[in-house]
Amino acid sequence: MLFFFLIVFVGIQLVPTNHNQSSVISKTEFNNYIVVPKNIQNILKNSCYDCHSNNTNYPWYNKIQPASWFLEKHINEGKKELNFSTFGDYSKRKQKSKLKSIINQIRDDKMPLKSYTLIHRNTKLNELQKKEVIEWFTKLKDSV
Amino acid sequence: MKKTIYVIAFSILFLSACKNDKKQTESHDASMEETNMHQQDEHSSMDNSSMQGDLKSTTEKNSSSSEIIDAYLQLKNALTEDSKDKAAEAGNKILTAFSNFDMTKLSDEQHMTYMEIMENSKEHAEHIIKSPIDHQREHFEELSKDVNDLIELIGTDKTLYVDFCPMYNNNKGAMWLSETETIKNPYLGSNMPTCGNIQKKIN
Ligand code: HEC
Repeated sequence: MLFFFLIVFVGIQLVPTNHNQSSVISKTEFNNYIVVPKNIQNILKNSCYDCHSNNTNYPWYNKIQPASWFLEKHINEGKKELNFSTFGDYSKRKQKSKLKSIINQIRDDKMPLKSYTLIHRNTKLNELQKKEVIEWFTKLKDSV
Repeated sequence: MKKTIYVIAFSILFLSACKNDKKQTESHDASMEETNMHQQDEHSSMDNSSMQGDLKSTTEKNSSSSEIIDAYLQLKNALTEDSKDKAAEAGNKILTAFSNFDMTKLSDEQHMTYMEIMENSKEHAEHIIKSPIDHQREHFEELSKDVNDLIELIGTDKTLYVDFCPMYNNNKGAMWLSETETIKNPYLGSNMPTCGNIQKKIN
């Protein structure tokens, strides 16, 4: 039984997945497009960029199936909703909408996804981080 | 071998974590509605003073925006009744209405803004189709601004009211469009159906 499981497990490692990594940093990347303070940058990079940018930071276990598949699905869906790497390409109207949505998602503890913070413990935002991010994004939203 | 077992354990954890995800957010949504109502607010309510008096405005009499506005009003009415399903249905109508819209009659200047409004509105409609009701309302708030801008851009032949409820979203307040003079609040639904005042009458 264990043997069977191992065979399947090894087998699925051979299924290829696309890695979400790009060395090009676009002009429209959030960070270039808007002046983002270092502390906010760090929070976003650490907690959001894996699914909402063109660069995922892959720890070893995310390269292993089936974890890798789930992450890939989240990345595809996440980037469709919000891609920090191309934020500047959005219309002003869409930028405003997205900023508002970011604030709501963080306020309601909907992001980062629970399935993700369960494993990546250090990506969950604590109350202080939430407050910092929400305050900063609220100011930004009102200025766009 | 030891590492493999860890890996398997991890994967299983991951799988089960993903499954739980949906349930957790859903129950969270349900409790949100209550806490929202009781939360003490740190922000003062938006400046209401400019909204007093019955401001009237006229727009270009244009019926090409009607299908979109009707679908929007259907959504608004579904939310006043706290009906997630009817709201989702109306969300679908909004998508259809934008697809049916005849862009050839737009001027070049209108075209750009229209495209932005359409893109944004469709995204909100898609979320409204698949979300629990308080998330529908968050997207409805944004959609209301889009439809209001659309009316400013191309006009309407309908008589509409721009309403504002200062209490929604922790007293940040939110606007919506209505076809009736009586206030029926789409954000708070049956919790507070009469919250709001008329900011502006269109046509
Ligand atoms: C594990 C991947 C993952 C991480 C990490 C993640 N997200 Fe998401 N995000 C998603 C997925 C998938 C969706 C689309 C489906 C959904 O809404 O659940 C999404 C949707 C969103 C949306 C659109 C929601 C809406 O319905 O309007 C926003 C905004 C967002 N994420 C912001 C963030 C922010 C901010 C962070 C970091 C604090 C973050 N996300 C971290 C995967 C992720």
